[in-house]
Amino acid sequence: MTGRVRDLALHLLDRQVVDTDGAAVGNVDDVELHVPEDGSPPYVIALLTGPQALGPRLGGRLGSWLVFWSHALSRHSGADPGRIGMELLTDLGAQVTVARSRVELGVHENEDRARTYFVERIPGARDARR
Amino acid sequence: MKVVLKVFLGILTAIGGFVDIGDLVANAVVGARFGLSLAWVVVIGVVGICLFADMSGRVAAVTGRGTFDLVRERLGPRAGLANLVASTFVTFLTLAAEVGGVALALELATSVSYLLFVPLVAFLVWFVIWRMPFEKMEQAFGLAGLALLAFAVALWQLGPDWSELLRQATHPSVPDGEGHPTYLFYAVSLFGAAMTPYEVFFFSSGAVEEGWSRKDLRTERLNVYLGFPLGGLLSLAIAACATLVLLPQGIGVDHLDQVALPVVLSLGKVGLAFLIVGFVAATFGAALETALSTGYSLSQYLGWQWGKRTAPREAARFHAVVLISVVLGAMLILTTLDPVKVTEYSLVFSAVALPLTYLPILVVANDPDYMGESVNGRVVNALASVYLVLLTVVAFAAIPLMIATKAGQ
Repeated sequence: MTGRVRDLALHLLDRQVVDTDGAAVGNVDDVELHVPEDGSPPYVIALLTGPQALGPRLGGRLGSWLVFWSHALSRHSGADPGRIGMELLTDLGAQVTVARSRVELGVHENEDRARTYFVERIPGARDARR
Repeated sequence: MKVVLKVFLGILTAIGGFVDIGDLVANAVVGARFGLSLAWVVVIGVVGICLFADMSGRVAAVTGRGTFDLVRERLGPRAGLANLVASTFVTFLTLAAEVGGVALALELATSVSYLLFVPLVAFLVWFVIWRMPFEKMEQAFGLAGLALLAFAVALWQLGPDWSELLRQATHPSVPDGEGHPTYLFYAVSLFGAAMTPYEVFFFSSGAVEEGWSRKDLRTERLNVYLGFPLGGLLSLAIAACATLVLLPQGIGVDHLDQVALPVVLSLGKVGLAFLIVGFVAATFGAALETALSTGYSLSQYLGWQWGKRTAPREAARFHAVVLISVVLGAMLILTTLDPVKVTEYSLVFSAVALPLTYLPILVVANDPDYMGESVNGRVVNALASVYLVLLTVVAFAAIPLMIATKAGQ
């Protein structure tokens, strides 16, 4: 994926990230840029996802509120936003596909919590019905 | 043969699924007060919802993505969030109204206070979403909703002067004793009933749930352009029944009883039985759709796994949101707020919120980057632009009209 020139805002930000099984991992809420010291153009080294990344982009009081609470509720102290290195990207189209499952990515703390403490305790949570 | 059956079933489902508590209340209220002089609004509303559903269904089928996914991508996180909050508020209000509607229909059948049914209805709404496969769910309630055809049968049985009805419908005028603002306020309500935002979220997310692709576009068009107008005709039958029976007697509609009265008068108990089945199916079906829609919108905006294709544990936050919104909706109705009033307000706010999602969908439906060769055709685009102006005007007029007329009093 390296070396491609894209309009960041148009082709990357706010896109859906899906894993190898096609399951939703999150949105590209922000990106981590690397600015080379030799003055060449900056490039994206990672996608950031989750409330800690979305908060600053929303800005204002709501944004800081979101960051504060996701920090406060997070199990790791000083939690950073979920980070997906660009080297994991396999496709950049309408969706961003990454070459790991969402479990391996480990950017899924809130989903895991909702599952463990709430949804999975209801009978039938494991049955897929088509 | 199987294909024909599938298409036919899709159209029937669209007809039965078209009418919800908003259409039932708005059409009966308007028929009882203004006769068929507002029928033109239903026609405009149905054309609008056809356009909107066609565009969002096509976008969903081609890109495989739901409405709010695209709304955020197009508007950015801030404007997208404002949009999400407004739309979800309206959808939630509609959900509460539908839950109240099911309970009112059960009260009509049993004479037991609707409030006692609310917790049961809420549980069943959640349970069906939790356990029932998507397509079966849609078909079951859509088809059972066809029992509302009792309105059409009753209309025919009442033996009206058809030419007089047609004259009323084609020569709109404000009846004596009603002010222009009130007339326009009810026009906005009827419009909100025909074009409710959740219908679009549900339709497009449903297309993704059922795994539609480009090759399903023809079926999608048939469902929309045949099913919805026939559903609109059913709405007009409700208004016409109220026009014939309630208007001459000066009976206003503030309860589901009065909505049912014309059918009871002309078809008796059998008519009422059909009607109750239809009421329950239509409002219950819409409660499912609105509950799912709150989950769809929020999950799509935030990029969560959503939908009923997977086991609930795989879409944990989506199912949590659906469950919480059903509980909150039931609680709102349990405050003894009149469900019919909740419905009337939800219709006005629907009209306000519509352009918020309409515009981004219109933009994406024209973007070859997303749509390839399935972008809007010229005719659709011309009509869709006219509707963009119309929706914006209605959205700005809705709240001032509501205040000026004290919500149509």
